[in-house]
Amino acid sequence: METTSPPVASAAGNLLHGYRPPTGVFDEMFDAAGAVRAPWQSFHDALGKLGRLEFTQRWQDAREQLRLNGVTYNLHGDSRGLDRTWQLDPVPLIIAEAEAKKLEAGLIQRAQLLEAILQDLYGKQLLLQECLIPPELIFANSAFLRPCHGITFTKNRYLALVAFDFARDPAGNFVVISHRSQAPSGAGYALENRIVMARMLPEFFRDCNVQRIAMFFRTFRENLRSWAPHNRDNPRIVLMTPGPRNETYFEHAYLARYLGYTLVEGGDLTVRDQRVYLKLLDGLQPVDVILRRLDDVYCDPLELKPDSFLGVPGLVQAVRSGNVVVANALGCGLAESPGLIPYLPALCRRLLGSDLYLPSAQTFWCGDPLQLDHVISHLERMVVKSAFPGQRHEPTFGFKLSRSERLKLAEQIQSNPIAYVGQEQLQLSTSPVMTEAGVQPRHLLVRSYLTPSEGSFTVMPGGLTRYSATPDTTIVSVVKGGGSKDTWIQTSGPVSTFTMLRSTTGEVELSRGGGDLPSRAADNLFWLGRYVERTEGIVRLLRGIFVRLIEKSDLSEAPELPLLMRALTSLTRINPAHIGEMPEAILANPQVELLPLVYDRERVGSLAFNLRAVYRTAASVRDRISLDMWRVISSLEMPQLPDPTKAPSNGHVEQITFSDTLDVLSNLIMNLAAFGGLAAESMTRGHGWRFLDMGRKLERSFATIQLLKETLVPAIPVEAPLLEALLEIADSLMTFRRRYLSHVETAAVLDLLLADDSNPRSLVFQLEMLRENVLRLPQNGVRAGRSMEQRVALSLVTAVQLVDIEQLAQVSTQGTRLNLEELLDGLDAELPQLAEAISHHFLSHLQISRHLAGNK
Amino acid sequence: MKYHVRHVTKYLYNEPVSLCHNLVHLMMRTSSRQRTLWEELVVKPRPEVLAPQTDYFGNTVHFFTIQEPHRQLSITAQHHVEVDAAHPLELERSPPWEHVASWVREGRRADMLDAYQYVFNSPFVATRSLWRDYAETSLPPGRPLLAGVMDLTTRIHKDFRYDPRSTNIATPLEEMFAQRRGVCQDFAHLQIACLRSLGLPARYVSGYLRTLPPAGQARLIGADASHAWIQAYCPGFGWVDFDPTNNSRPSDKHIIVACGRDYDDVSPNKGIILGGDQHTITVAVDVVSTETALN
Repeated sequence: METTSPPVASAAGNLLHGYRPPTGVFDEMFDAAGAVRAPWQSFHDALGKLGRLEFTQRWQDAREQLRLNGVTYNLHGDSRGLDRTWQLDPVPLIIAEAEAKKLEAGLIQRAQLLEAILQDLYGKQLLLQECLIPPELIFANSAFLRPCHGITFTKNRYLALVAFDFARDPAGNFVVISHRSQAPSGAGYALENRIVMARMLPEFFRDCNVQRIAMFFRTFRENLRSWAPHNRDNPRIVLMTPGPRNETYFEHAYLARYLGYTLVEGGDLTVRDQRVYLKLLDGLQPVDVILRRLDDVYCDPLELKPDSFLGVPGLVQAVRSGNVVVANALGCGLAESPGLIPYLPALCRRLLGSDLYLPSAQTFWCGDPLQLDHVISHLERMVVKSAFPGQRHEPTFGFKLSRSERLKLAEQIQSNPIAYVGQEQLQLSTSPVMTEAGVQPRHLLVRSYLTPSEGSFTVMPGGLTRYSATPDTTIVSVVKGGGSKDTWIQTSGPVSTFTMLRSTTGEVELSRGGGDLPSRAADNLFWLGRYVERTEGIVRLLRGIFVRLIEKSDLSEAPELPLLMRALTSLTRINPAHIGEMPEAILANPQVELLPLVYDRERVGSLAFNLRAVYRTAASVRDRISLDMWRVISSLEMPQLPDPTKAPSNGHVEQITFSDTLDVLSNLIMNLAAFGGLAAESMTRGHGWRFLDMGRKLERSFATIQLLKETLVPAIPVEAPLLEALLEIADSLMTFRRRYLSHVETAAVLDLLLADDSNPRSLVFQLEMLRENVLRLPQNGVRAGRSMEQRVALSLVTAVQLVDIEQLAQVSTQGTRLNLEELLDGLDAELPQLAEAISHHFLSHLQISRHLAGNK
Repeated sequence: MKYHVRHVTKYLYNEPVSLCHNLVHLMMRTSSRQRTLWEELVVKPRPEVLAPQTDYFGNTVHFFTIQEPHRQLSITAQHHVEVDAAHPLELERSPPWEHVASWVREGRRADMLDAYQYVFNSPFVATRSLWRDYAETSLPPGRPLLAGVMDLTTRIHKDFRYDPRSTNIATPLEEMFAQRRGVCQDFAHLQIACLRSLGLPARYVSGYLRTLPPAGQARLIGADASHAWIQAYCPGFGWVDFDPTNNSRPSDKHIIVACGRDYDDVSPNKGIILGGDQHTITVAVDVVSTETALN
């Protein structure tokens, strides 16, 4: 347990009032006497000028911005909504220019060193013969990708992006703790942090002379462009992600958008003629560079790890034959082993001819008997890490273990010492963090990024600072509940004002028109459209039902209710058999029967279930929908009722719950309308929009058919209230009133909802739009004549256009509208064929790959 | 001895395969005892890409891609090859196995480093105290390495029964060990696991046996399919072959195709197909001594 020093004296608008850094560690902002350190003076002045109230207000806004932008970190790789909003602290970490210069030199040297090590290990392996790297660290490491040995690059290098985690020790010196050479994460979060902070505290950036980071990304992008083996003027570069279940998927989508790359999953790519192609809606297009966020072992199930299809079969061969560049190069994970750290000083002298500028935290590889002894006898001070990936071994902190747990760990290490690394635990520096409980110290760890530049490397003047979850722990991890800070590097020189946000045009990318639509993305947009519209259909129907439940005290006042309930069953496909058959019984106890239909996420078909599907599908095409649309999606939230079945069943509570629900439903309708509006007004009419729209039109057609089938095929004696309800649910009441004043008649309603091509809610309108959309899809590979989906769409439109409304409205002697039933049944059977035809034609790229059986 | 070898692999698919990528280890390695006189690889349907290269372990591997829809695939490799008989070795004169283990662990010459990589775990073979215990019976302290390995070869042959229906590629070595039945790949993997568990380098050899034995001799097991055995490394002797399936030291009846850490590095055919649904595979291997044929 750390002790704390006396509270610091700060005049900075009282914001930091009461801050007590712990003693025995280095505090970034205050010296041991409690005085503000020099680099922070201008920050304090600016804070004083701004005042506490304004600062707090702006921070609120910034946090809201992060939430709305959907900046998340997926905690458990779960796509069902365990996304946690990214935590950003409003107090940055400031690094003075002189210190930053030293850091920069040290990090550049280390990046060059790792590059040189990789070149040797995947080449002549002289470092092993010269006893500079223990061979066990290579031969026993599953990250050593033998199929990638000996691949030569003409232009590019192994590392396009490399990251280092460093911290400050109690004496105030920077110490490097680890490095990331595989596919470093966090640069996108650093960027988002910067954008939010620059918006929140623009005057601070000026006052504190903070360096911009956009140039770094331009250099990075330029690297990838110049590495393209073909089409160097306008190469196709993709960012390959493991998918939405990955913990940093947000960042993948964010960076893809920022850098102007297409976001792809392995399944979007295919190898033919030893080249990589992107499966687009209108055919295959060659890919020149792959920026990967997928670990290299998963990149090719043919030559690398066979039990994962996240990658692309044949990719290694495509790289080998020089037709595509993968960045970081396949195999780079090898250099990530912390077991290399003890050997870096000698490696640096050998490979770069200089001493290591920046020290590493004291690190010991247990494969060496002397180092093993040291680790075992000092376990309480050690952080024990795995020397090799794949063991899924989280770092173990010796001080947290009991005596017997330490003995067990020692045994575990001794049973296979080459697989373990011990690292002296560092007392990380602290900095103030704004918490719910006021300003508190938290320990810091900084991640810095480098990319090649002119034969060497360049450092991002910034980075991702992360802080611990509590003041007592020095374990810094976003997963474990910590947060992040922006990192400000000061400069005395001019500040570059280059930004990639305002315009990425002016460069050749204009010619693409953003037209790359992978088949998978088209599929997801199609389903997004379907889920959104399905949700809207359910919400509208539910609202109609709840309004009636609230307004009518007696069921006999609302003869349309049972029919509406039947339609609800048909629409949600939830059929506790009794709904259709004994609606009265349900209506007698709607609390139990109806509320789960609204709120129960686990119930397939419920409103909450569909909303989740909307969110999940939208998340998988985040790079294809605008920020505004994403905000609308994020606001499609529903309160979770504790357990509606256990709510007290007295009338009073029931009343309140229903009208609450009505509010929820009305809100949803507004937000869904906003989504529809944005889709209609703000999306370019490319194939992406077309698939979204087809999904919507298809689902609205389904909803209309179900609604009419359940309510109007059986003719009830007094239909006026029902007809009114239908018009209201179909949002066509106004039109109807204007046209027919107050006289409501079945034939007129049928006409408006089925056959009126000027009503955007009518069935014929949906089908007509579907037909038009289908006509505009790329028709590659189809011979003369109409394609299957064109034929089905035409047949559907014609069927509805040719109806005789008077005939449809006729009621048989059994009290049924037989003609209507026949028409709707026919449409109901044909509509799924349209969905299938579209999938078959455009989305059949999405076939499954499998291994051939081996022979034994 | 000269041989004509023909290895045919056929796949039949229920549904058309629209794309396949394959890696095949079907060309023969050259060694001081073995020379390829003629070789041919024929794939049907004709692949759009057929690229030979050398893998990390020094074997020839072909990458090929078929991009036209097809319902069957056949891969035929044929060779004329000449194999010299192995020199008799004085196994008892090899160094004690512990010396070999520490030389390999501490040596940094290229040949020692090359051998050292075969001490570590590989996809199908992980070291365990179970294997070490089994191996120590053959390799007590001070036992000359090669004599001990020959003893281990004999014990595996005696303790395990050859049974093609007992295992498949996915059967864990532990399970094979417990049921005491397996096929040549299993026995090779087991022997490699035993040696590695003692810190000794051992590698997997895939190859063939001559199909028809010389008159009066028994037909060897594994002669009409790919065969597998092992090599142990001993400084001064190099890589020495042992066949636990036939309890023998391979000479000119064994023809080497490829060497690697285990089956995964050198499997005759790896492939990934798009489409195809279910498929069946048939393999036929003929190894005919051309010298006998002339008689």
